[in-house]
Parts: sequence; structure tokens; C-alpha cells
Amino acid sequence: MIAENTQTQMRKGILEYCVLLIISRGEIYASDIIAELKSAKLLVVEGTLYPLLTRLKNNGLLSYNWVESTSGPPRKYYTLTPDGVSILSQLDGTWQELSFAITQSKASKNN
Amino acid sequence: MKKTLNINIGNSIIHIEEDACELLNSYLIEVKQHFGKSADDFEIVSDIENRIAEMFTEMLHTQQKQVIELADVQVVIELMGSVKDFEEESDDEPSAGYTNAGYAGFGERKIYRDTEEAMVAGVCSGLSHYLRMDVSILRVLAVLSVLLGGSGLIAYLILWVSIPKAYTRSERMAMKGEAVNLQGFKRNFEEELSNLKENFRSAGDQMRPFVKHSGSFIAEFIEVLGAFMQGAGKTIFKFIAIIIMISGSLMMVSALIVLAALLGLWDSGTSGIFPLNIVDEAYFTTFVIAVFIVVAIPLLSLILLSVRVAFNSRSVNRMFSYALLLIWLCGLAVGIFYVAKITTEFKEDAEFTQNIPIKSFPVYTLSLDRSRFFSKDDSLRYQLNSAEYTGKIIQTDDRGPFNQPRNVTVRIEKSDDSSPSLTESYSAKGINFETALYHAKNIHYDFMQQDSLLKFGPELHLMKNVNWRDQQIELVLKVPVGAVLKIDRDLDRYLQGYSLWDCGDDHSGDAPYEGVMTEEGLKCKFDQ
Repeated sequence: MIAENTQTQMRKGILEYCVLLIISRGEIYASDIIAELKSAKLLVVEGTLYPLLTRLKNNGLLSYNWVESTSGPPRKYYTLTPDGVSILSQLDGTWQELSFAITQSKASKNN
Repeated sequence: MKKTLNINIGNSIIHIEEDACELLNSYLIEVKQHFGKSADDFEIVSDIENRIAEMFTEMLHTQQKQVIELADVQVVIELMGSVKDFEEESDDEPSAGYTNAGYAGFGERKIYRDTEEAMVAGVCSGLSHYLRMDVSILRVLAVLSVLLGGSGLIAYLILWVSIPKAYTRSERMAMKGEAVNLQGFKRNFEEELSNLKENFRSAGDQMRPFVKHSGSFIAEFIEVLGAFMQGAGKTIFKFIAIIIMISGSLMMVSALIVLAALLGLWDSGTSGIFPLNIVDEAYFTTFVIAVFIVVAIPLLSLILLSVRVAFNSRSVNRMFSYALLLIWLCGLAVGIFYVAKITTEFKEDAEFTQNIPIKSFPVYTLSLDRSRFFSKDDSLRYQLNSAEYTGKIIQTDDRGPFNQPRNVTVRIEKSDDSSPSLTESYSAKGINFETALYHAKNIHYDFMQQDSLLKFGPELHLMKNVNWRDQQIELVLKVPVGAVLKIDRDLDRYLQGYSLWDCGDDHSGDAPYEGVMTEEGLKCKFDQ
């Protein structure tokens, strides 16, 4: 149970970070984000993404434009706000630290 | 064949099969419940709906088809993930507690009418789900309450109108207290599928709630009534059919006996009875057979129909039915022809009168005399030895066979001169004047004077083999002013324009009427 909980916490944080990273590369549609995440083997189901995007948007990290689609209704294309960019750079720093911490921890254990 | 629905999801119109739509609907309800607590619920759900719409559009496009099926919806749900997956990803939100509470709330039973297990309208079976009672106990109680004063019937009707019918799968699940979530839905659906495989014949019943989607209470009432007729009412119908069958057969037998009697299979003398004596002997047989056909064939069809209802037998041969119809029409045509022919024989009138002098007496007694002289004709009719009986009087108390409508009228008038007289006017009808006159002349009527006693016969007699052609006799008795008349009360119904019962302070019956001829006509003695 504790293991599961930790896994979930870790995945949650990293999922958010990855989503921001993907959006930071340019305006992108939700299902393309999902495709990206799937290729990165991070996301299992699409339904998880929508609450996450909404939360990020409500926290001011994302904004979206309605773009007309050739097939079907208009789509939401997400971009990072300046706030989002700055938070992403903070997260980049955090990730560097974490990555270092993990590498360090593993290395010291192996030695 | 499956029923499809049009749904508007994410501003796209999608054709979707009904079972697929139910699955999708329950999925979306679950999603809405999950995100219901957060302020962004509308946005998240509409995002999800938009995405589902997009997936559907893609599916329809890539698979080159028109309709979203159950499997497609299952694929979409697989991709979107169930609520369980969402919880895993977002357990810092307080949604878990909420959803559990929500499930408990939705897991509670709701009351619906269960039309799939219904005897009438599913009120009892619905109540049994709600109260967790055995349905047969409720049904016995319901029937008892209907029988004991009928209050149950009113209660049943009220419940029928007020309790909604369980249309959808989710309503049926709520009725049975199953949780309306995806897991419950899947379980329910799979159960139903396995039931379907086990008993393929119940497929029709399974489809019933879908078919019954539309319709008001009245329509449902009629439908239920129809089902009731088919079920429990069938026995009643059969019972009625058997009664019709038996009584119809009896009527058929009696019609045959009447036919045989009329055709003279034995000497019943029926052809002399009114109104059969209207019909000329020459075509009597044809006419009677035609009438028999007109009556008997509908009777026969009624019997055949009731046999069919009672024993579920096959309908009669089509050729046979057409033949029957043809014969019936022929019979009808012949019958109408003869009715028209007979009607023409009433076209012309003829009348002749004869005067009979009456001996003068100061007081006359008028009486109805049922005895009659036996003529030669009569002795032939009654097959008696004419030598023995002719000229003798026989007493008949009963009026014998009714062979004519009322045909004797008597009027009492003031004599213009001082001598009394009786005028007999014989009239009859015929196809022309000669025939009419011939008919009038063939009337036989008994009138007799024995001193001051005037005897009137109760009816006129026709010669044997003479048809009824509205033969009538009018008797006008003229008496001088001052003559006293004692009239038998039996004569009252023959008197025209005068009632004996208006006279006399004692209406005790048999005492004869007494009146006096005055200048103004006959007057009761009490009115003097």
C-alpha cells in the first residue's frame, strides 16, 4: 500500500512535469499530448489528462485557443503562459536536483 | 436488427446503437459523479465528451460505417480509462470519499414498475423489488384486496399512474438496488447476455422495455389490456366462445327443424300461419330456402369462428369461405326478389259491402261468439268426416293459431231511418283490382242474430290456400235513437272510436256495458 502510494506520488509529479515539457515545445492538442505521453509510456488512460490540464490551466500555467478542426468540433490547443514557462524552469532545476540525488544515491549504494 | 439513437455529444451528431448508448450514458454519469465535486467539473467533462466525440468520428471514418456499436464504446472507455484509474492518478483530491458516498446513494433502491416481470403493469413486481418481498405474496394480497371490496383495484390504478416504469437499464438496476456504476452496469449487462444465450426465446421480452419507450398511460393501459386478454383473458374468451358455439349450434338445429317443418316434411300446417300465409304456395319453398340460407350462413360462420377461438384450430379453407359468401349472396338476392314480388301483391285495394237487415228490438245484446259453424272447408282442414260435423257448432275457447293480424272492427252508429241494420265491408289487397276483389270475396265471417242477441265472430276466416292479403272486415251496426245496447266487454277491443271501459262506476269486470243510442251517438247509461 505504501509502495503504491509512493509510486502514485512520483508518477503524479513527473506526469505534470512531462506535460509541461511537451506543451513547452509549442501549441499542442490534448490528444497529441496523449500520443506523446503514450510513446513515453507514462500515461495509461486519456481520462487522467483532462483533470490535470484543467488544474494546470486554473493555476495559470497554461492557456488554450480554440482551433477549427477539419473533422469534427473545434479543438483546444494548449500553450504555456509566462508563469508556466517560469515554473517549468523551476521544475527543470528541481528535476536536475532530483536526478542528481537519485544517481548519487544509487551510485553510493552500488559502491 | 437493432434500434439506433441520435446523440449529440461534444457538438457532434452520432448515430449509436441503443445498448451502446446505454453503456456510454452510464459511463458519462460515472465520470460526472467523479468530477462533480470540483469546480471545473463542467470543463473536464466537456473535454472528455469532446474527445469521445472525436474518437467516434474517427472510428466511423476509418471503419467506413454509419453507427457506433457496443464494441466501439468499450474501446473508447478502455482508452479514456475508468473512474478507478482517475482516482489512482488524483488521490490528493477528496474525490474518493465523495464517490463512495455517491455510490452508496445511488446504490439505494428506487421504486419503479417492473414491466419485464409484470402480470398486469408491473406494480407488484416493482414493489417487491423495493420492499425486498416475495412478489407472489404481494400478488396474492393485491388479488385479495381487489376481491374484498375492490379497494385494491383503485390502489393499483393509483400506483400504476404514479410509479414510473423502469425504462432504462440504469433504472432497472436502481430498482433492484444494484449500484449504478460501470462495474454494476457491466455485470448487469453480462448477466443479461448470458441469460439471452441460455434462453434465446426471451429475447423478445428483453427487448420489450426498449420497444415500450414511448407512449402515454392510456396507450400503456390499452397495451396491458391487450396482453391481459391474451393471457388471463384468453380463458374468458374461450369460455364465451364455447357458449356461443353451443347456443349457435342449438339455433342451427332449430333453424333446420323449422326449415323441415316449413317445407312440409310432415304435415305441420305451418304454411297457414301468419305471416307465412303471405307467401304464395307457388314459390313458398324457394322463398323459405332463401331465407334459411340468409339466416343460417352467418350463424354457421359464427359457430366456426367460435370453434376457432375456443380450440385454436386453423381457420377454414378460403375457398370454403368464399363459397359460403357466394351462397349467402344468392340467398339474399332470391329473398329480396320475392320480398319485392310479394310487396307488389299489396298494390291494389278492393272493397265490397253488403247490408244485413236486423230485426227490431228495443234492447240488443251484443256478444263475442267464439263458437263457429263448421263449414265443409273447415272439415277438410281439420280432416274430419264432413258428413258428421257439417252444420254443427264447435266451441273453441283458445283463439287457435294466430293466422292474421287484427282484421275485424266494429262501429256502432245512429241509424238514419228508424230501422236497424248491419253493414259488412270486406276489403283486401292484390296485385290488381280483380285479384284484390277475389281475395275480398273469399273472406268468411260469422255474424248471427238470435232474436235480440247479436253474435260477432272474433275473426274472419280465409279459405284454405288463400294467402293473407290484408283482408279486413268493418262492421257498422246502425241502431235507431232510443235503442238500448248491452255490450259484452270482450267486444271492447273490436270497437272503433269508443271504449266500453269509460262507462260504469264499477270496474269489477264482467258486468256487461249498458248504453243508449242518442242523437249524439252511443251514450253510457250512467252519463244520462
